[in-house]
Amino acid sequence: MENAIEIRHLTKDYGSFKLSDVSFCVPGGSIVGLIGENGAGKSTTIKCILNLIRRDAGEILLLGRDNIKDERLVKEDIGVVLDESTFHDTLKAPDVGKILRRVYKHWDSGLFQDYLRKFSLPADKYIKEFSRGMKMKLSIAAALSSRPKLLILDEATGGLDPVVRDEILDEFLNFIQDEDHAILISSHITSDLEKVADYVVYLHRGQVAIQGAKDELLEQYGRLVCSRADMAAVDDAFVVGRRTSQFGCEALIQNKEKFRRLYPGLTVDPVTLEEIMVFTVKGDVQS
Amino acid sequence: MMGLVYKDFLVMRKQLSYYLIFVVLYAGLTVAGVFTPFILPGIVVLVGMMLPMSSVGYDDQARWDKYAAATPAGRAGMVAARYLSALIVLVAGSALILVLMLVLGLTGLIDSPPVESIAAVLACLCVALVFDAVILPILIKFGAEKSRIISIIIFVTVFGGAMLITQLAKNLGPGGGVAFPAWLAAALPVVLALVSVGGFVISYFISLGIYGKKEL
Repeated sequence: MENAIEIRHLTKDYGSFKLSDVSFCVPGGSIVGLIGENGAGKSTTIKCILNLIRRDAGEILLLGRDNIKDERLVKEDIGVVLDESTFHDTLKAPDVGKILRRVYKHWDSGLFQDYLRKFSLPADKYIKEFSRGMKMKLSIAAALSSRPKLLILDEATGGLDPVVRDEILDEFLNFIQDEDHAILISSHITSDLEKVADYVVYLHRGQVAIQGAKDELLEQYGRLVCSRADMAAVDDAFVVGRRTSQFGCEALIQNKEKFRRLYPGLTVDPVTLEEIMVFTVKGDVQS
Repeated sequence: MMGLVYKDFLVMRKQLSYYLIFVVLYAGLTVAGVFTPFILPGIVVLVGMMLPMSSVGYDDQARWDKYAAATPAGRAGMVAARYLSALIVLVAGSALILVLMLVLGLTGLIDSPPVESIAAVLACLCVALVFDAVILPILIKFGAEKSRIISIIIFVTVFGGAMLITQLAKNLGPGGGVAFPAWLAAALPVVLALVSVGGFVISYFISLGIYGKKEL
């Protein structure tokens, strides 16, 4: 299947912050996690995709169409969940369905009702009485009930408890069972993405620092814990970032298998996305 | 786009019901002779001013714009919905007030001949359209919070101007101090209608331009 999202050389300059030459794809049938520290450019990228802000350069194709020229058409097939509830406090959950069925051509009222029941969202309560988790579930129910091919989620799991997060992640996995579907999800909770993402794009200071298949990335990188003397003997080409303390050294190593062959005496542990992110951000740190 | 208009009415339903009570209350006070009947069409202008401000205020609070622009309605749909909602409220409100005035007039409860009731309602509708034509691009550009002071200034200017025109119009009668040329007095309703409708349409295109460039 074609790529659900293709971003080429995306640039947006705010003066104090610049999203610079960002390129990546979201293949059909996959979940791509957009990770990065706060202010790395995740939301800016998503806003550019949704044409909420004007890009300075680059090209964005959504489901094979230009995101600006074919905006109206392409947005019929996109479900969006933003980082906070955007529905009015004075509305009730069924009101959201009544509004959106007049907005989306493929809106499925029955499916929306099913999600309200599944997520235990009361029909008779105002949204202002909902918890953050309930509001997020309502946003996800709304996004899925437009029968989209592509889901775009900006920090949708932020601030939610682990149980609700898990429930929502399961829903994303259900959605992706159809190989015509795809998800782009931005989050700085990397453990969520480790559970569900097929690919990871790591943004750092407005640029793509690392991208690739999640399993390959986790396979490629490793965490080395060793003495200062051992560290001094390691070829710097393997070291992405290191943390040195009085007790020893900790480093993020790339080309893990080659490293193991060259340094059989050193132990390289599996690494998490969070560790990849932290080491890349910090680079060389003395503590 | 119709979904966004529908949203406006759902969000504003409580406020609209308060305005309805307001109308009934003022109709009662008018029948009791406390107010002149021509205060009733003034409510249309008041509602015309308040509702777009409240609607944008609620949307700002919910951060609705960001979401709505990400739906198929898009930016153009959002602007169109704002204008259509305002228009529906004004036209429906004017129709309601007109029916009320005609009924009260014909039953002798208020002293307002049908022709004067119609003229007063249409004049207020035109003033409200002009007001919305001015305030909507400001609301779209700056949001509800920043637009509040600007709106108050415009409100005072529009109403001050309207009162001045009313005063001058009264003086047009026999013994009046100001003598407008007869052709101008005759053309005034047409001019007002053209300015209000034309201004509303031009305002819509200005808002489209403003919102098209706005970063959400």
